[in-house]
Amino acid sequence: MSLVIELDQQGAKVIGQAPERAPLTPPKPANEGHGDVRKKIVPNVKQPTEPTNAEWEGGQYLSMQEWLDGSQEGGAILLQPADDVKKLDGRIGNAALISVDFHRIGDGRGYSHAFLLRKRLNYQGRLRAQGAVTADQVFAMARVGFDSFALRADQSADTALRSLDSFGVPYQGAVVAGTATDRADANFAARVRLLERALVEIAQRHDRPALASSLSAEDMVITDVIARLKLPIDIFTLETGRLNPETLALIPQVKERYGIEIDVRRPDEHAVAAYITAHGKDGFYDSVAARKLCCNIRKVAPLDEALNGRDAWLTGQRRDQAVTRGALPEAERDSERTMQKYNPLAAWAWADVLAYATRFDIPMNALYQRGYVSIGCEPCTKAIRPGEDPRNGRWWWENQGSKECGLHTIQNVTR
Amino acid sequence: MYCYDAVDRLIVEERVAQFRDQTLRYLAGELDEDAFKPLRLQNGLYIQRYAPMLRVAIPYGVLSSTQLRKLAEIARKFDRGYGHFTTRQNIQYNWVKVEEVPDILAELATVSMHAIQTSGSCVRNVTTDAFAGVAQDEIVDPRPYCELMRQWSTLHPEFAHLPRKFKVAFNGAKEDRAATPVHDLSFDLYRDEVGEVRLIVKVGGGQGRTPRIASIIKRDLHWSEMLTYTEAVLRAYNRLGRRDNIFKARIKIQVQELGAEAFAAEVESDWAHLRNGPNTLTQDALDRVAQFFIDPPLETWSEPASKTLAIDPNFQAWKKRNLTAHRHGDYAAVTISLKREGIAPGDATDAEMDFIADLADRYSFNEIRVSYHQNLILPHVPRAKLHELFSELDSRGLARANIDMASDIICCPGGDFCSLANAKSIPLSAAIADKLAPIEDEIGAIAINVSGCINACAHHHVGHIGVLGVEKAGEDWYQIMLGGRPDGVGRLGVLTGKSVRQEDVPGVIDRLARHYLDVRNEGESFIAAVERLGTDSFKIILAEEPAAA
Repeated sequence: MSLVIELDQQGAKVIGQAPERAPLTPPKPANEGHGDVRKKIVPNVKQPTEPTNAEWEGGQYLSMQEWLDGSQEGGAILLQPADDVKKLDGRIGNAALISVDFHRIGDGRGYSHAFLLRKRLNYQGRLRAQGAVTADQVFAMARVGFDSFALRADQSADTALRSLDSFGVPYQGAVVAGTATDRADANFAARVRLLERALVEIAQRHDRPALASSLSAEDMVITDVIARLKLPIDIFTLETGRLNPETLALIPQVKERYGIEIDVRRPDEHAVAAYITAHGKDGFYDSVAARKLCCNIRKVAPLDEALNGRDAWLTGQRRDQAVTRGALPEAERDSERTMQKYNPLAAWAWADVLAYATRFDIPMNALYQRGYVSIGCEPCTKAIRPGEDPRNGRWWWENQGSKECGLHTIQNVTR
Repeated sequence: MYCYDAVDRLIVEERVAQFRDQTLRYLAGELDEDAFKPLRLQNGLYIQRYAPMLRVAIPYGVLSSTQLRKLAEIARKFDRGYGHFTTRQNIQYNWVKVEEVPDILAELATVSMHAIQTSGSCVRNVTTDAFAGVAQDEIVDPRPYCELMRQWSTLHPEFAHLPRKFKVAFNGAKEDRAATPVHDLSFDLYRDEVGEVRLIVKVGGGQGRTPRIASIIKRDLHWSEMLTYTEAVLRAYNRLGRRDNIFKARIKIQVQELGAEAFAAEVESDWAHLRNGPNTLTQDALDRVAQFFIDPPLETWSEPASKTLAIDPNFQAWKKRNLTAHRHGDYAAVTISLKREGIAPGDATDAEMDFIADLADRYSFNEIRVSYHQNLILPHVPRAKLHELFSELDSRGLARANIDMASDIICCPGGDFCSLANAKSIPLSAAIADKLAPIEDEIGAIAINVSGCINACAHHHVGHIGVLGVEKAGEDWYQIMLGGRPDGVGRLGVLTGKSVRQEDVPGVIDRLARHYLDVRNEGESFIAAVERLGTDSFKIILAEEPAAA
């Protein structure tokens, strides 16, 4: 028997040993064309007469006719492409296995066999595809109801297993035709998968990428994906010295939950001391310039230092967080620091963040429950009323246009 | 214009990743040609006569200026600086490299585009009226239904290996501008007596070797049952369509052999199990999609009266030929002719695509349409700005006033590119246009279609005059057909006689056209005259000796 992949509640498992494969011979891609192919077209397609494999692990298959003529007790049925599956209605009995024979990739009748067996005849036992079954077909085959795949001899089990996960949120059924909630749910699933894909790609593309985490809910979402997928993306945070205790509490929580040690970066003591001398500890309330200087000492300078030697950084910024972020791209060039900068949550809404937090039960800053939405340093952050602009909780004594700490300046959009 | 959500975006991005992996495995020798072929085809990649060709889907012919700019960029970066727009509202690149296709698809994904199912034995890109949402004779805007069909049929697991290709079209207007009678499956949308949208369902239309006008199998399908009914049609075809001969594998043969009534009965018996099932469309699902197909903010404009404009004959001719009335009286839909002297019909360069995208931004709410006639359309142009737009188009040689006229020829790539073609079609189209040029204005509306082979990519069966390339002893010969039309209930053209040599084709067509000028009634179009007098009366003319020049 060839290699078989079987699906059950626990996932996919591979049964059998892969046969020896001949060494690969790379083709010459047909970039010069195929010339005149009219003479090469053979209109008649030979219909097969013999099954591609007459045996299963329990012995000889029975053809559909043999099954119908017999006792319908035990044994396995092998369906051919031209068989009328509907004849099995009410007569599947206790078949141990139904296999569908694929004689060539392009003959799609077996997919309808599977659909009808599952949905019309309500067959719940093992349903196998055999014959011309390639790794690239198993995703569609699984979706029409196959849960067992006897791969063609030259096929790799690894590729087949990988291709079972080709698409996260297929269109058919409720996703296209259903209610607004169905589509919203599908969109959430798709958003999470897009995030996972984006982070995997960043991890592959860069040598030393890092998430600049403010320990916000957004950054906890990204942290959760990094941890779940075990991605080589470092995480650091800027401990400004003025953070809320609720915020700081997340550092040990992340350690406990994921085993990840967040790299805690602190501002230069002398610069902080000099600022306090010149402006007072809370001098940032006096002017935008004084506030920005404070941000610069406590956040921007430590950020620059943390990014030193890296080739990419990630943030949890979202477009709808602030007027200043309306055109935020998912990937941009940080020309000041000459590296790529990624905002993988750019298209996420706050509701998506909350949905993720609930779905994956991630550690969250306790301040969110007290009406905080955008959380920075303690003296510069406050709760807002429901429905209020989220950025009203930051530097509320300033205009909207200036409400950035300087970590994120407008960059050239690459996407 | 439809806007991708995360579901749409994920599918397209994962499709790119999947095909990149498949291409890499193919290039490494892990996937053989046979296994790779259906995969590349379902991603739009053909191998043509001299090079690979990539067909990119333009769903129901609607493009944003951003998307058109991306198409231009792809032509520039990955091809030879041009693209070819097709009768099925797609674009084809004729000189791509197999190994670069995943990169092209990744570029397309950034602007919500793809090449999924633009070839192969599957449900192809859905097409409709290029004037959808604009035309004055529209009864139901077909675009939301097209988009729902696009999504449902995209990567449908059961119907990716049909007996042959499967083309779906929608028409929502009084005049059918989507050639629905010659599609595998098509829908006419209308409103019933209580205003509910219903569909007339037609199956088994097609051209090629065995042309056939589609049969109506249902007259009153409620819109909510569009997908369940389509599923039943596809299952009947997938299970029972012929697979023993690729020339007889289209659904039209099945419908012909079984009879439309028996086919409909098979569909109904399966559909009975599917009705009210998970693919039943809800109002929510329709509303979600329909919200994207609303009018742009159209304003009231007054057209400036100008004496100088009135005497500019080129502008007047262009206004007469290239404008289609808009639902809003102060706007017009402008067709930009891609049928130009010395240029293959339907071709546009990267610079022209960029230019047209800019025009769309400035004159037409960033929107462009691709038509069945292989032209581009700016759907919402204020009438007050027509002269300005005309001048800009004229400055780039894009203001040819020939829409629906003798030189607006539908033409396939033919023997210059296609590995299936019997004969060339592009140079012949040019010769026909040249020959008819002196009487083009007099002839008025006429549809001439030139296909290089029996596969009928240029729809020669439904041209008022259709030309089909056949090969005789290594030479290009052509059959000439008369009286076909893709609109209304559809009609197939009839052969006018024996095939003729390439150099004789323009003369034959010229005689047909001149005969029409002799016999027409006041205000009667070419096709109306052919229908009134019968094709035989035109054939007789051809049998006579041509008059000495």
